[in-house]
Amino acid sequence: MDYILQGFLEGSRLLLAGDNETYTVVFTTVKVSSLSITASLLIGVPLGFLLGYFEFPGQRHIKTVVDTLLALPTVVVGLFVYAFVSRQGPLGELGLLFTIPGIAIAQTILVTPIVVSLTATAIESLDRRLRPTLVALGARGNQILLTSVMEARHGIAAAAVTAYGRAISEVGVSMMIGGNIKWHTRTITTAISLETAKGEFALGMALGMVLLLLALIVNAMLIALKKKA
Amino acid sequence: MMETTAGLPLYLVENIEHRLSEHFELRVPRLVVNRGESLGVAGPSGGGKSTLLSLLAFLDKPQRGRIMFNGHDAWYDKSDNSNKGVTHLSQEPYLLKRSVFDNVAYPLKIRGRYGSIKKKVYEALDMVGLKPNVFASRRWYELSGGEAQRVALAARLVLKPQVLILDEPTSGIDQTNALLIKEAITSFRKAYGTSLIMASHDTLWLAGATDRVIKLFDGRIVTTESANLIPGPWIKQEKELFAKKLADERLIYAVTPPHSEATGILDPSDIIIALEPPMEVSAQNILPGRISRMTARGKERAIIVEVIVADIPLSCRVTRQGARQLGLLPGKEVWLVFKASSIRWE
Repeated sequence: MDYILQGFLEGSRLLLAGDNETYTVVFTTVKVSSLSITASLLIGVPLGFLLGYFEFPGQRHIKTVVDTLLALPTVVVGLFVYAFVSRQGPLGELGLLFTIPGIAIAQTILVTPIVVSLTATAIESLDRRLRPTLVALGARGNQILLTSVMEARHGIAAAAVTAYGRAISEVGVSMMIGGNIKWHTRTITTAISLETAKGEFALGMALGMVLLLLALIVNAMLIALKKKA
Repeated sequence: MMETTAGLPLYLVENIEHRLSEHFELRVPRLVVNRGESLGVAGPSGGGKSTLLSLLAFLDKPQRGRIMFNGHDAWYDKSDNSNKGVTHLSQEPYLLKRSVFDNVAYPLKIRGRYGSIKKKVYEALDMVGLKPNVFASRRWYELSGGEAQRVALAARLVLKPQVLILDEPTSGIDQTNALLIKEAITSFRKAYGTSLIMASHDTLWLAGATDRVIKLFDGRIVTTESANLIPGPWIKQEKELFAKKLADERLIYAVTPPHSEATGILDPSDIIIALEPPMEVSAQNILPGRISRMTARGKERAIIVEVIVADIPLSCRVTRQGARQLGLLPGKEVWLVFKASSIRWE
């Protein structure tokens, strides 16, 4: 048991001392996941809106596919993206393998279904009186769409937070596409898995704590946002 | 716009057929609503009141027929489609997930009317009896049902619409809130001369608050009076007589209904009110009841007296003089007399 406590204390010391290597890893993680979450919101919210708002043939099937993609294993996404961006792959020339944009693209693929599915659900569960009310108040076209998105804002924010949680906590994509390169593409999760394998519990513990803290901050932001809006 | 349409009716509804399900279709061959007029729409649930109101509010397009609004075929004349000045309040209003102020300001903002928006919103809240200082900043979930209903009404009044369409504005809320809503509607009409089209179960209030009342039953306008509707089943008696059994085992007699489940229509003017059971009259129906409510009819010099017979309310029309002579008051026991042949069939 001692070594766990030791690891915890050493981890706290590293964080408080502002250890350069630790913080580089943290910043890389925040950078990658921020890129991927921004991209997935830009793509996912409009798609989720279309899926949840309009009725069209095949809608149920698309929803089923999207819901299935929620359980997409990270290593499978890593594998596919690797196949495309590796030297001999169709996108090999772009040189995305072992880069931060490379990880961000793969993470975007991983978390966009979450944004689409949860946004669609949020839009679908809007009150059925909303549309006639807006029409009766004189709203037209885009005004109806925009107000509907605003009405579903809590659900969409929850979609964003869930997606962000998935992005910062995944390890498969970061490992396969990023390659866990020190000072460059090493993220919190890949670092923890490496340090634990090496027996370096302290650094692993420190990073684990940061990861939890990040999740806490994001959720606290959501709660604050809900109270305000 | 106003000059060119001054002589035309506000609404001219022609040959509307609008099917909602296999079992229900609204059919209105003709309906005219004049500018500044106040029209009440009565009738039982499922009779088509809400459907008619949403058609008149242009929320739904009629499947057949047309609605001329200010002389334009409203669904085809695009030039008149942008802002008709018609606003509709549904039976269970929906508030946007924002503050009371933003809810009331919303219809102004989407029209780009940002000028003195605060003043207009506060005025509208005042009209429905909500103190702006207290309520403007309230969140949508910090309101009671009746307060929410009043906020929703304020969001319609703020536009100072040409036509205000209200679907059961006082259903499902407490007396105090209902009274405030009724007051707001009356004083708003007085101040702005708005045309009002309103549905309500509260037939007596409807009769008092509107110039005339139409009654919808099973998708048809059955009468333009506040007729009584007596549902079946009708059980065959002797000869051509049929009867409906009331809760107290008494019978209401009618003549040859088209089928046993038919609904009879009884005009309030066909009912005579008596203080004692009359002797030797040819009328088949002599029923005791108790007066529950009395109301003065809009512009006419008549009184509508609602009498509860067993468990059904029957509206009777008497003159003011007649009501005075008989000393009619709510709570008084009376006898209702009408012929079996007075009950007509749709």
